[in-house]
Amino acid sequence: MKKRQFTALTLTAAMTAVSLAGCGGSQPAETTKASATDGAATEAPAADGAATEAPAADGEKTKLTVSVWDNASSPQFQAVADAFMAKNPNVEVELIDTQADEYNNKITVMLAGGAADPDVIMVKEADTQVGMKEKNQLLDLTSYIEKDGIDLSVYGGAAEQLQMDGKQYTLPFRRDWYTLFYNKDLFDAAGVEYPSDDMTWDEYEALAKQMTSGEGSAKVYGSHNHTWMALVANWALQDGKNTLLSEDYSFLKPAYEQALRMQDEGVVQSYANLKTGSIHYISTFEQQQCAMVPMGTWFIATLIQDKKDGKFDFNWGVTKIPHPEGVEAGSTVGSVTPIAINAKTDVPDLAWEFVKFATSEEGALILAENNVFPAISSDAINEKLASVVGFPEDGETALEVKNFVFDRPLDSKMPSVRKVIEEEHDLIMIGEEDIDTGIANMNERAKEAMAE
Amino acid sequence: MNTRTVKSKVIVYIILSVLAIGMVIPFFWMVLASFKNSNEVFSIPMKILPTVWHFENYQTIWEKIPLLTFFKNTAKLTVITTVIQVFTSCFAAYGFAKVKFKGRDMLFVIYVTTIAVPWQVYMVPQFALMSKIHLTNSHLGLILMQAFSAFGVFLMRQFMMGIPDELLEAARIDGLTEYGIFARIALPLAKPGIATLIIFTFVNIWNDFMGPMIYLNSTELKTIQLGIRMFISQYGADYALIMAASVCSLIPVLAIFIICQKWFVEGITAGGVKG
Amino acid sequence: MNSRKCKELRTNLIGYSFIIPNFIGYFVFIFIPVCFSFVLSVMKWDGSDVPMQFVGLANFTKLFGDSTFIISLQNTLWYAAFTVPLTLVASLLIAVLLNSKIKGMVVYRTMFFFPYVASLVAVGAVWNMLFQPEFGPINEFLKFIGIANPPKWCASTEWAMWVIIIVSVWKYMGYYMVVYLAALQGISADLYEAASIDGATGLKKLWYITIPMLTPTTFFVVIMLTIQCFKVFDLIYVMTGGGPGRATNVLVNHIYNAAFVDFKFGYASASALVLFAIVLVVTLIQMRGEQKFTDFV
Repeated sequence: MKKRQFTALTLTAAMTAVSLAGCGGSQPAETTKASATDGAATEAPAADGAATEAPAADGEKTKLTVSVWDNASSPQFQAVADAFMAKNPNVEVELIDTQADEYNNKITVMLAGGAADPDVIMVKEADTQVGMKEKNQLLDLTSYIEKDGIDLSVYGGAAEQLQMDGKQYTLPFRRDWYTLFYNKDLFDAAGVEYPSDDMTWDEYEALAKQMTSGEGSAKVYGSHNHTWMALVANWALQDGKNTLLSEDYSFLKPAYEQALRMQDEGVVQSYANLKTGSIHYISTFEQQQCAMVPMGTWFIATLIQDKKDGKFDFNWGVTKIPHPEGVEAGSTVGSVTPIAINAKTDVPDLAWEFVKFATSEEGALILAENNVFPAISSDAINEKLASVVGFPEDGETALEVKNFVFDRPLDSKMPSVRKVIEEEHDLIMIGEEDIDTGIANMNERAKEAMAE
Repeated sequence: MNTRTVKSKVIVYIILSVLAIGMVIPFFWMVLASFKNSNEVFSIPMKILPTVWHFENYQTIWEKIPLLTFFKNTAKLTVITTVIQVFTSCFAAYGFAKVKFKGRDMLFVIYVTTIAVPWQVYMVPQFALMSKIHLTNSHLGLILMQAFSAFGVFLMRQFMMGIPDELLEAARIDGLTEYGIFARIALPLAKPGIATLIIFTFVNIWNDFMGPMIYLNSTELKTIQLGIRMFISQYGADYALIMAASVCSLIPVLAIFIICQKWFVEGITAGGVKG
Repeated sequence: MNSRKCKELRTNLIGYSFIIPNFIGYFVFIFIPVCFSFVLSVMKWDGSDVPMQFVGLANFTKLFGDSTFIISLQNTLWYAAFTVPLTLVASLLIAVLLNSKIKGMVVYRTMFFFPYVASLVAVGAVWNMLFQPEFGPINEFLKFIGIANPPKWCASTEWAMWVIIIVSVWKYMGYYMVVYLAALQGISADLYEAASIDGATGLKKLWYITIPMLTPTTFFVVIMLTIQCFKVFDLIYVMTGGGPGRATNVLVNHIYNAAFVDFKFGYASASALVLFAIVLVVTLIQMRGEQKFTDFV
């Protein structure tokens, strides 16, 4: 009898489980969802309490996680983390490293999954911070900034540009802009003068043509256009009149005409080749297959490092990016790398300490030592940047920025629109679509993407 | 007549050899490229053999990324997941195939339908769940999410179905419990199935890169596929090194396959035909 | 009566005890997330804490106005339409050749099977290099045999899908070859002997005995291949990322992008449900077919 009762009981339990499973499952799924959000809501304050306590406890180190990309080739992340740990011996900073092309997806999954890690997020593409903020995934830093009296003016307007709804969710960590790199040895050998710091794009094209030489695998291209959409579109944005969130993309036409012309004339390597061979601009430049390359300031750190490591042995230079006719030299396009705190972090105060440190002048000097351009600009920092061993002595001109245009507006639609433009860019550059068709498609598809 | 059969045999050999060589050319190319200097990989005109054999490529890759750690992690994940998958799947498959219980067919249909759902679809809810129970950035989480695939149960059930009921009935009469029958009769008979499942799971887990990419944060937890992807993105032009790392990652799977292939072929024979 | 019930309960319990270890894991880690994603298909959710909104069938109606979805669906169908028959024919042909009692069968079999177990990341990288349009070995070879303008492969909307198809066939035919090989060994030798007495030649035997006898296997292969083709993602992700433009964008790419670029998780789930429906129909056909063909086995 007893045994039977027990059996019946177990059976009922099992049956319930089965019938629950059988009825399509919307119920169990919904309950988990509900309890999941409840859990998060109740969990957060408790976690806050723990966080403020944790750093005080000695012996045990508090862990802070920071998400970064391509850590091995971007030493600045580690440098900042090390300096922070040196200042705060109770803290252990762990870098969550993901390769660059997978980075945004990984962050999306982690944040959508409501994970407490990473505590601190390096925002690789500034426009993605809008989506994160709209999803309440970022901690509002405004009160922290007020409490600690942070002066936002040191960022030269960049901090204000990152504001969303009048609140500061992120602070600028790095600021990069496009410059023109060139191989001095190749110019010397050809007896051609180095690229000047005041060149129009047409003059640049002529120079690239002049610098192209050789055949087959010995060919040296005058310049190099990496496959990014930004490396065509940005030059159309340089005058500050348009943005990449537009109803009519016909302003891109001259830039595409030039890019295709240079490709057809064999002055730059073909896009199709670079794309299918996933050829990196670093190797093209370092193996002396091109005389010039328009690239962001982050490339400076790579070149200094690689030369020191003996990966190449020639002299390189850097100067201002060419400009369209009628635009002042020193006008450039660039981007800011914001740094943010995960709203679900279990150590918000500590995360803020890290953010504060990384975006401070002290942090900026560490970046500068690593040849990385911090968001803060001051004479001391510029001097530091220019005086780093390995930085070309005549390169200082590249550091003077007259006019800084953001490569993409901060808008939640930007990532979807960017995908559309990139797809059309792809088709234009491999010659499957002529420029007009490509631009017409951009107009139509961007509208579709923005409609939602 | 005799010459005709000889002739046709020769033709068969020729066709097979040509096709087989075609199949492995990419691997040949990969191995050869792994000994070249990176510039030479794409030289024009094409060189088949390296001019100088750069054996040191295989040394360099171990220095550039922590390949050894990656190997250990991958091996650990693969072995544990495979073991759990095989054990629980065999158990469940026997239940589905040979024990009649209430709700069995409905449960099985549920299992089968989820096979058809691509992982990318439920990746986010799954991750949310894992992070609620604090299983992200750990091998345990990755093991748990991959060890209970419906496919394993489905596959093993197909094998168990093939075991004649008379055999089991006889054992029951001899006084064996269901568990005894499972352990002493069903399991040994399902050996080819187990071999198949081992290969499937092993290959899938070893080669998976999306799962580890999303779930693992710390470098010391990462797997070999992530390592290669990392390599490709960081040393984009070091083709020779990429190839060397790839060759290294292929060797264990090749070894497992060669060891298990006898059973495996039997396995597909039994499972495949019945679908 | 009582004892019968008791026995039934016992059997039930034994059944559950076999299922339970797997079921717990399956239920928690797979079933719940899958259900959740289905619920999402009638919701609007951006992946945030903000409660999701019920939108009814809006996600589904939107699907058919979305050019990217239509293109992905077409691409998926196109991919499946070629990959399925090509893989089938290739695997059958090789299995028949291997079955003709040749020496070194194991070596051949291993060679044909190896691509199946090789990592996609590695294989994708190698094929990308082989198909490199300007200096890749394949185009070098084509130029050598006199084709002046070989295709640009992955850099051409026309050819990119073919690259994916070729690599898919190469990678997966080994598996189906083994399936066929197994089935071939199950065909009774008497049939062939009888045919020989009647004077049938090799090709005739193939056409009149082998192929009909393999029908159930072929059925299984077609279904498995179709399901696999509709779920294709990793290979494309590694090789072309859906490009150039949208030329190799398939359904799962679309789902992935809807979720991870546009943060429309509800919409992504709706696309997934369409995929699921297709696969389900194919599976049902298989189940019907399996019953129909059991007589053959």
